[in-house]
Amino acid sequence: MSDLNYDCRNIKIKSETASVLVQKAIAAIGKNEIKKGNLIWLELTGCSGNIISLLNGADPDFRNLATQMVNFVYDNSLMAAEGELAMDKLFGAIGSDFILAAEGAVSTKSDGLFNIIGRWRGRPVTALDAVKKLGEKAAHVIAVGTCASSGGISAARPNPSGCAPVQSLLNRKVIKLPGCPCHPDWFLGTLAYTLLFGEPALDGAGRPLMFYSTLIHDICPRRPFFNQGVFASQLGEETCMFKLGCRGPVTRVDCPIRKWNNHVNWPIGANTPCIGCAMFGFPDKMEPFISYDIAR
Amino acid sequence: MNEREIIINLIKNNISEMQETIDSLYISCNSCTKNMLLNRLRRSVANLSMLVQGFESGQHSAAFNGTENPQQNPAGAFTLAELSKYNGRDGNPAYVAVNGTVYDVTDNAAWGAATHFGLTAGRDLTGEFASCHAGQPVLNRLKVVGKMADERLEL
Repeated sequence: MSDLNYDCRNIKIKSETASVLVQKAIAAIGKNEIKKGNLIWLELTGCSGNIISLLNGADPDFRNLATQMVNFVYDNSLMAAEGELAMDKLFGAIGSDFILAAEGAVSTKSDGLFNIIGRWRGRPVTALDAVKKLGEKAAHVIAVGTCASSGGISAARPNPSGCAPVQSLLNRKVIKLPGCPCHPDWFLGTLAYTLLFGEPALDGAGRPLMFYSTLIHDICPRRPFFNQGVFASQLGEETCMFKLGCRGPVTRVDCPIRKWNNHVNWPIGANTPCIGCAMFGFPDKMEPFISYDIAR
Repeated sequence: MNEREIIINLIKNNISEMQETIDSLYISCNSCTKNMLLNRLRRSVANLSMLVQGFESGQHSAAFNGTENPQQNPAGAFTLAELSKYNGRDGNPAYVAVNGTVYDVTDNAAWGAATHFGLTAGRDLTGEFASCHAGQPVLNRLKVVGKMADERLEL
């Protein structure tokens, strides 16, 4: 099966969106047309998957972000400071102009005590406190990944810690970048656009249209098999995995164009069905991820 | 103007809107705009098929109210127990019931492995449909395979 048609100008442009935006933002900062933004990356109730994914970015990459686009004020996984010093940096940002990127859902049960992200002035700070305090003061709030956007795995049944999406705790617009994890391009492109022009065009669910406007199914390289009714009955058959439970037809995002790990491959390219990780309702409403008893 | 003429006018308007959308698609090179236009085209096609159905069955009032009016097959009347056999598993077709009508979702792309956002085929999904797709022209793209038996409707 041939790959997507990269002679198509439309697909080529889409694959370069994030790179072009980041280069533009860096150039504009270099010419003092816009200011370098302050970025706070707040890890709430999640798995650190999104920051790890971000570090894996390539053209644009993490170095572009940390050295040329923003002052990276706080990230618990990456910063040198620790303990009270780190929390001083976090809460010291209140009052300045900053963009808040939040990954992970917000644990709300028992006043958020299920997730303590640090201690400040001798008191424990819950993720719930932090996201409320910082979320209200930020210039923009970006929910990075599925848990922050819609609860995701953290809020999956039975959800013992009462996890909820960032939006449900804040009385303001939150830009949502669902995906498990979020693709580095989606975050860096959205951040660059926000620095350059302000909030990007969003769909009804708060997702940037430049990345989330197309169903995977509509740009899937295996779409011709679906149209012809040629379906895989087990993993490994390089045809349409609809009968195995592929969620590409209900998932809006541009994985087939952008691909992962340095733009090399993506789930369907590796012969596993899309499990709808970038769609609201993941994981509970996207199960079962694989079914062998459908086609006969 | 009688109902027949009104429907013909609506169909004509719809066709000219579709032609306009197709023209716009040719000149647009932006993906977001293209998707918006494709969505509009899909909506127009759904409207058109609804109008045609209304026209054929002579049930014009339903078409005007914007409600969906799929043609029903009087031969197939399903009880809930019968419906549950059509769960899409082991090569069986996948059927779901909405508002007393039974639809075939076996080859509907959004029903991968006969499941859709945590829902399984072989069930009456009237409530679930209303909570998520109310007002959307979704049903008239599906093949109608029958209706629910009266006993179900009285529940």
